[in-house]
Amino acid sequence: MSVRGPRPHTLRRSRDVLLALAGSDFRVRYGRGPLRIVKWLLDPVAALGVYLLLVALVLDRPGRAPGLSIACAVVPFQLVMMTAVNALRCIESRRTILLNLAIPRGLLPLASTVTESVAFAAALTMPFVMMIVYGVPLTLSVLWLVPAIAITVMLAAAIAYPAALLGLWLPELSAFFVSVVRALFFLAPGLVAYDTISGEGHRLLPINPLTGLFETYRAALYYGRAPAAWELLVPLGAAAAILAVSVPLFRREQPHLAKIVTGGR
Amino acid sequence: MTPRIAATGLGVRFDFDRQQRVVSPTLRRLRRRGTTTWGLRDVDLNVQGGEGVALIGPSGSGKTSLLRAIAGILPADAGTLAVDGRVGSMLAVEGGLFGALTGRENARSLGVLAGLGTDAARSIAGELGERARLGAAFDRPVATYSEGMRARLGFAIAESARPEVLVLDEIFEALDHEYRRVVEEHARALRAEGGIVVVAGHDHEALGRICERAVALHAGRIVADGPFAEIVEAYRGGV
Repeated sequence: MSVRGPRPHTLRRSRDVLLALAGSDFRVRYGRGPLRIVKWLLDPVAALGVYLLLVALVLDRPGRAPGLSIACAVVPFQLVMMTAVNALRCIESRRTILLNLAIPRGLLPLASTVTESVAFAAALTMPFVMMIVYGVPLTLSVLWLVPAIAITVMLAAAIAYPAALLGLWLPELSAFFVSVVRALFFLAPGLVAYDTISGEGHRLLPINPLTGLFETYRAALYYGRAPAAWELLVPLGAAAAILAVSVPLFRREQPHLAKIVTGGR
Repeated sequence: MTPRIAATGLGVRFDFDRQQRVVSPTLRRLRRRGTTTWGLRDVDLNVQGGEGVALIGPSGSGKTSLLRAIAGILPADAGTLAVDGRVGSMLAVEGGLFGALTGRENARSLGVLAGLGTDAARSIAGELGERARLGAAFDRPVATYSEGMRARLGFAIAESARPEVLVLDEIFEALDHEYRRVVEEHARALRAEGGIVVVAGHDHEALGRICERAVALHAGRIVADGPFAEIVEAYRGGV
C-alpha cells in the first residue's frame, strides 16, 4: 500500500500565491526605499504610545512596568485588529485581480493575516524594549512566546475569514465590526493586568479569548512564569471554533467573489 | 493534453438584493426579496485546439461573462463547462495591475498569480519589461502609465505563463498599431502550436486577423456561430 501526501506543487503554489498577495499588499502600505523600514518599525511604537500615555498619564494607573504590561496586550491585539481591518477589504482591494485571474481565492483572508504578521514582527520588539526600559529580567519563560505567537496568528486568521465575509456581504457594517473588535480589547485586561481586576470582572473576563492571549504574553515576559492552561486554551479554542465555521462558509462563497465584485456587469 | 473548451447548457446567474447589489447564492437565500438575471443562458460551445474564436455582440450581451467563465473566474450556475489546458487571461486593460507598484513589482507579483513559481516570476520580470516595451518606465509606478502601457504589460504577464488557452477581452482598443501586431502574431503562433484563442471586442478587423470563427451573443445567449466573415456580416446587418 502506498500513502500519498498532499501534492507538493499545490502546496508550493499556495505558498507562492500567499506571498505574492501579501508582498504586494506590504509594498503598497510601506512604499519602497530605506524609509519603509523606519515606517515598519514606527507603526507599533505609535500604537503602544497612545495606550501608554492613556494609562500612565490620563488614568494615572501606572502600576509596575506599565509600558511592558500594556505592550503584552497591545502587540498581540494589533495583529488581530489590523488583520480584521485588512480582511474587511481584502476582496474589494483585489477586485481587478479577481476579475482577471483565477487565483486560489480561499487564500485572500490568509494573505491579510500574512501581511499583518510581518507588521506584527516589528511590534514584537516592543515588549523587549520595555523590559530593558523597566529593568525586567528575561527568564526561560520567554519560550512561552512561541505558542503565544502561534495562537495570536491563528486567532488573527480566524478573525480574517468572518471579516472578509462581512466586507463582502455587508460592507456598510465594516465600521461596526471594527468597533466590536476594538471593544473586545477593552473587555479584556488590555490596559491593566488581569490580577489587578477584582469582582465580577475577574470572573467574566476569561470568557473573552483576548484575556487568555494577553495574559499568556504577560506570563512569558512580565511575570516570568508559565501561563495557566486556560490562558492558552481559551484563545486557541475560540480560534479553532471560528475557523471551523467560517472557512467552510468562505469556501462556499469564493466561487462567487468575482460575480459580486463585478456588480453584475 | 490537447486544449479544448466544451460548454453545454452553460448558465451564469447574477442575484441582486433589493438595493440592486449582486449577492452570493447563500445571501440570496437569506434575503427573500431580490431579482435574478442570467448573464449567460443555455450556452453550447465547443472549441478545439488550434481554433481562434471571436466573441461579438453589443455591450451587455455576455461576451465578458463567457470569457470569465472560460478563465475560471465565474462559476457555472447551470450546465457544464470543461476547459482543458493552461489558461492565460487578460480581461481588462488594468489586468490586475496595482497602481502603487512599479511595472517590475507587478510583473513579479502577477506572474506568480498567473501561474509561475516565485523564482521563475522574478527571473523573467526584466524580460517582461522588454517585451512590454516599457523601457525605464518599468521601474515607475503603474499609476503613471498610459492605458496602452498597462495593456502591454498586462499582455506580457498573461503570456508569460505560456497559456494553451488565451482569452482576451477588448484589449485591441487600448493598444497602438505596432503592439497590436505583436498580440496578433502571438495569437496566431499559439493557434499554430495547437492552442486556443478566444477574444472579444468591437474591433472586428483586428478580431478577423486572428480568428476564423465567430460567435455572436445577445442577451447572454449564443445567436450565431460560424465562419468569421459570415457571422460578422450578419451581425453588422442586424445592428
